[in-house]
Amino acid sequence: MSMRITTLMSSSAMLRDLNDGMDRLTRLQDELSSGKQITRPSDDPYGASRAMSLRGELGGLDQYQRNVDDGTGWLNTSDTALGQVSNALQRVRELLVQGGSDTAGASARNAMADEIDQLTESVKQEADVQYGGRYVFSGTATNTQPYQLGGSDRYQGDAGTVTRAIGPQVEIPVNVDLHQLLGDGTGATDGKLLDTLRGISAHLRGGTPADADALRTTDLQSLDANLDTLDGIRADVGARTNRLAFAASRLGGLQTNATQLLSNTEDADMAQTITQYTTQQAAYNAALRSGANIVQSSLLDFLH
Amino acid sequence: MTSAFFGLQTSLRGLLAQQQAIDITGHNIANANTAGYSRQEAVLEPTRPYLIPANSINNGSGAQLGSGVDITAIRRIRDQFLDLQYRAQQMNLGDATARTTSLDQAELAFGEPGDDGIQAQLSRFWDAWSDVANAPENAGARSALVTTAQTLTSTFRAVSGQLTTVAQQAQDEYDAITGPSGDVANMASELAGLNRAIGDAVFRGQQPNDLMDRRDQLVDRLSQLAQVSVTDTGDSRWRIAFGGVTLVDPSTPAGYTWPQTLTTPGGKLGALLDLASPTGAPLTYRSQLDAVAADLVSRVNALHTSTPFFDPAGTTAATINVAVTSATVQTGSSGASGANDVAQAIAALRGGSTDQMYQALVAQVGTESQASVRAQATAQSLSDAVDSRRQSVAGVSLDEEMTNLMRFQRGYQASARTMTTMDDMLDTLVNRTGKVGL
Repeated sequence: MSMRITTLMSSSAMLRDLNDGMDRLTRLQDELSSGKQITRPSDDPYGASRAMSLRGELGGLDQYQRNVDDGTGWLNTSDTALGQVSNALQRVRELLVQGGSDTAGASARNAMADEIDQLTESVKQEADVQYGGRYVFSGTATNTQPYQLGGSDRYQGDAGTVTRAIGPQVEIPVNVDLHQLLGDGTGATDGKLLDTLRGISAHLRGGTPADADALRTTDLQSLDANLDTLDGIRADVGARTNRLAFAASRLGGLQTNATQLLSNTEDADMAQTITQYTTQQAAYNAALRSGANIVQSSLLDFLH
Repeated sequence: MTSAFFGLQTSLRGLLAQQQAIDITGHNIANANTAGYSRQEAVLEPTRPYLIPANSINNGSGAQLGSGVDITAIRRIRDQFLDLQYRAQQMNLGDATARTTSLDQAELAFGEPGDDGIQAQLSRFWDAWSDVANAPENAGARSALVTTAQTLTSTFRAVSGQLTTVAQQAQDEYDAITGPSGDVANMASELAGLNRAIGDAVFRGQQPNDLMDRRDQLVDRLSQLAQVSVTDTGDSRWRIAFGGVTLVDPSTPAGYTWPQTLTTPGGKLGALLDLASPTGAPLTYRSQLDAVAADLVSRVNALHTSTPFFDPAGTTAATINVAVTSATVQTGSSGASGANDVAQAIAALRGGSTDQMYQALVAQVGTESQASVRAQATAQSLSDAVDSRRQSVAGVSLDEEMTNLMRFQRGYQASARTMTTMDDMLDTLVNRTGKVGL
């Protein structure tokens, strides 16, 4: 015997089906309007945790990208300053060669010494260059001016290394130890740049044969040695700038990947969702139409 | 021989029985949409036959002449076995529904995946440390870090508080249902009253169909709350066990005993008790969140050595707190303005154990919530299926009632026609006989 179907059964079954249909429609509508297939962890627990982890990774990549930008800015500032120092030293070298020749008179040598003093100050000024309000050549003592203009040639900063994180566990130093090039000036007799420049200036003003001799020999050698050091430092800065540029493009690629993965994980597939939505809507409409017919009719409609 | 009026009486019985059957059909139609109503049916039986001792003139043998119809009972159509199945499913459904509601709230408390959840706040916290590492001498970056950290800790505290509330709500709901004027007390009291009324009616030989429907409906509702079992005491009164204790007992003066401590609750009450307990889902999530907070505190503080970054005493999600100000944030171990090794090391904690523990927790919450939604859907469809079968037996079908209505109406018409025939016969006998030649 077939199952006895009562009035309440057919109407409650229809209501249940309509509710289910409406529920599915609402879910799909949510997906369409939010563009996400995961709006809460229970929608897809594995997907949700993967999305969270990808989002964290993406946040990290964005941050590394910002770190790279900051480091690049720091190195560019350093490179410009070092370029200026290099120009100044070329001029010093020209003056040194002129001043070392016997033809130069005392007044000409004094004028050269004055210019060299000015160039020395400009070298110190370049060493005091700032990036974002920080002294880039002060080691980690970034609030301390490394060389005082018009004052002592003693280095005021420290030997600390400033680093930027450009990846997980990857840190790159962005500062240059300019102290190893410039040194601490005359008193230190360290043969570094400031000591050499002060020596050249003194020898030019001195005018004795020994001074002239020094200008031609030790001073020139010392200046050339310092120029070599400077070139080494500039090459290093250039290499690090390249490394940062490479890191930036690699981070960009990783960002694209992570964004793509995140989108695949949590974004709704629009074409699929719209198709499902249309199908569900057709099913829902059919349920409504048949429901209206089922609930209305009974034997009552045909008795007179 | 029978009396000349015998046929009138037979027709009258027919009329009365058909009329009552129509009344019953009317009652069924009127209750077609009443929840818990079981359709009723008139049990029609031929009345005791009239004994004619020597019916046959030829052989003198007797006969039994039918004397009409009688409604011997108004039967309630219901399958007790389906009731048992239905109540077992209702208990599962009550359990699953309570869990789903609670887990849904717990899941919402986390607010993941979203911009305001702990994951997003953690990410911003690491970002803020990186910003400090990029500009250790900048007081603005440090104060932004402190603000971000405070937002993070207050989010931890808020989520922890919400999880506590979810557990508390389960306890409150349990207390409300089992309280002095709660659902259980009200239903038990009404069931005791129904037991008395049904017992009295049955004692008088009646079948109190509508009272029994009401009693069945109450037991259905009770079965959502906890494990229910029903024993008939032999006089149609019920002894009802509820969650392992005897709730309704006709032999006691009050007819029911409440409040009591349930030994094996099951159902919604069992689920609520479980959810409110320290081992229930909301508080388990909270203690796992505590572990995430403790991990964050210990890892950051281990690197931030000058002074604890987070209050070392606050190692739960409810008590985690920022202990530094923008002036006491440590950026580097040397103390130089540009030293950033500490900030770098803390920023490198990004994606580490704290994030992973938290992500695992959210995945667990999601999985359990999803499982509870599925369990509830299963319980609902099983319950619907049994209810459908029960409705198939006990529910009112208007088509059927309409057919019955026609049937009984025709029966009534035919009985009336028989009566008219009898009347015509008597008219012939009384008014037309003995008039020959008049």
